[in-house]
Amino acid sequence: MPKTSTASNHYDVIIIGAGLAGLSSAVRLGMFGLKVLILEKHFVVGGLNSFYAKGGRKFDVGLHALTNFPSESSGKSSPLLKLCRQLRIPLDSLNLLEQSSSRISFGEIDLCFNNDFEFFLSEVEKVFPKEKDRFQKLLSKMVEFPAYSVDAKEISTREILGQELGDSLLAEMLLCPTCYYGSARANDIDFPTFIMLFDAIFKQGLARPDRGIRALLDPLTDKLKELGVERRMNSPVKSIQTDQIQVSEVILENGEAFTSDHFISTCGGLETEKLLCLPDTPRSFDLGRFSIIESISVFDGHPRDFGWDETVIFFNKSDKFFYDQPKQLVDLNSGVICLPDNYGPIDSSEKKEAKLRVTHPANFKLWSELSEQKYQKEKCFWEDVILQNGLKYLPLGESKSELFKNRTHLTDTFTPCTIKRFTSHENGALYGSPTKKRDGSTKFSNLFIAGTDQGYVGIVGAMLGGIAVANNQILRNL
Amino acid sequence: MNKNNIKQIVLDIIAEIAPDEDLSGVKSDIRLREQLDLDSMDFLDIVMELRKQHGIDVPEAEYRQLESLDSSANYLLPKFESGATA
Repeated sequence: MPKTSTASNHYDVIIIGAGLAGLSSAVRLGMFGLKVLILEKHFVVGGLNSFYAKGGRKFDVGLHALTNFPSESSGKSSPLLKLCRQLRIPLDSLNLLEQSSSRISFGEIDLCFNNDFEFFLSEVEKVFPKEKDRFQKLLSKMVEFPAYSVDAKEISTREILGQELGDSLLAEMLLCPTCYYGSARANDIDFPTFIMLFDAIFKQGLARPDRGIRALLDPLTDKLKELGVERRMNSPVKSIQTDQIQVSEVILENGEAFTSDHFISTCGGLETEKLLCLPDTPRSFDLGRFSIIESISVFDGHPRDFGWDETVIFFNKSDKFFYDQPKQLVDLNSGVICLPDNYGPIDSSEKKEAKLRVTHPANFKLWSELSEQKYQKEKCFWEDVILQNGLKYLPLGESKSELFKNRTHLTDTFTPCTIKRFTSHENGALYGSPTKKRDGSTKFSNLFIAGTDQGYVGIVGAMLGGIAVANNQILRNL
Repeated sequence: MNKNNIKQIVLDIIAEIAPDEDLSGVKSDIRLREQLDLDSMDFLDIVMELRKQHGIDVPEAEYRQLESLDSSANYLLPKFESGATA
């Protein structure tokens, strides 16, 4: 049996952060009898993929889509099946609802996709007939590339698409959804991440648990309770104490100290290095800077009442996609629309109200420098602008603007500052640092990072990353 | 404890960690990976369950001894026996 720690403030593993990576690694470690403590600075679990209530309604923060849906064409290869097995959460218990169909919209050009990869291939062929052979060649190259291995080369996807494809518009249209669903790099995405996201979005597919993110968070927290894993909320970590080789303890803002054999930090690579309080040591993680603003409307009826039957729309005004921190508060030129009520079969939709979510790139620095009063004023202003702008990308959306306004009874917006509050990422960086460490190792032999800065993106990636660190760095070495 | 008991123990563990696999026709002498959809993460779980349920340690270098039910039984039998007399 594992030697479990008995001293009351000493643990086998301390995990910083109760996001999906932290919770998943805690389940794995607790499952095999280790004494685990989770420290979370927020009062709710989930990190970026959390939830909140406003006006008596529940909102998910992060979840637009659960990618990697094990669709018929992708079979048993989906990592989602792996993680359900590892966490012993039956896939059926998530009650996954599949997307209707989604779209990448660039000016007048649309590429549609659903959870049948063949349909996407036929769309590409229809819209870009001259690219057929080159696109097939690109797909083969992607299959051959070792995207999923821990030492995959982080080469530029823009460069590769530029070499492989003749029509730059197709390259831009492929970059848009993949960047939005997981690139920490400015105006590009590294090739292994591009492949993982392409597989996750197009080859597998998009779905949503019927209860939203809580369908994942609840079974995780229930399991942790069952396994006797301790969890302290409202417990921000102030510092991580080290000698030259090992981490010895973590100290909370309130002065409490905890020792442990192993430490897993999920608050980000750079953020973890800051907690180490080693001012003379050069940082090994670069600062990420891509952040977002999202406005949500709750309206009466169903999106189909307005003729809107798609689930996710990635849009870009021109034929050139720009993915970076904007120079102003918000970049309206591109974004993502999600109609979460369009997941699931049509006939089950006797809903009284529905949501529209519109997301745009936003500048953390500019938002964070606003005074409280100005922040509220700008938030209000942009909320309206974003929702109006978003309607342009929905079928006949602009003409239905008045009707939509009249039917909307609640709106809310979260900004890069909100992202920072939920994730603790510097700069409110949605996908963390552009530097990634896939195996989670650090220069300290008993400290590991897990989650966003491992580079396995999305909800599924965060969970698999946490599982991989628990498995490969701790369980295998017991 | 005999080899058949051990094969059953391993099968029970697989049923627990991979409830979606059909174990009814699993052959003892063929590698488990060839008959079932198991990967290295699943084999880690077999090892961890042996440790948790039976106090048996399998060092990482010897994980491959568990590749089939027969090889598992041969490899684990002495470990079970020494555990029983300890």
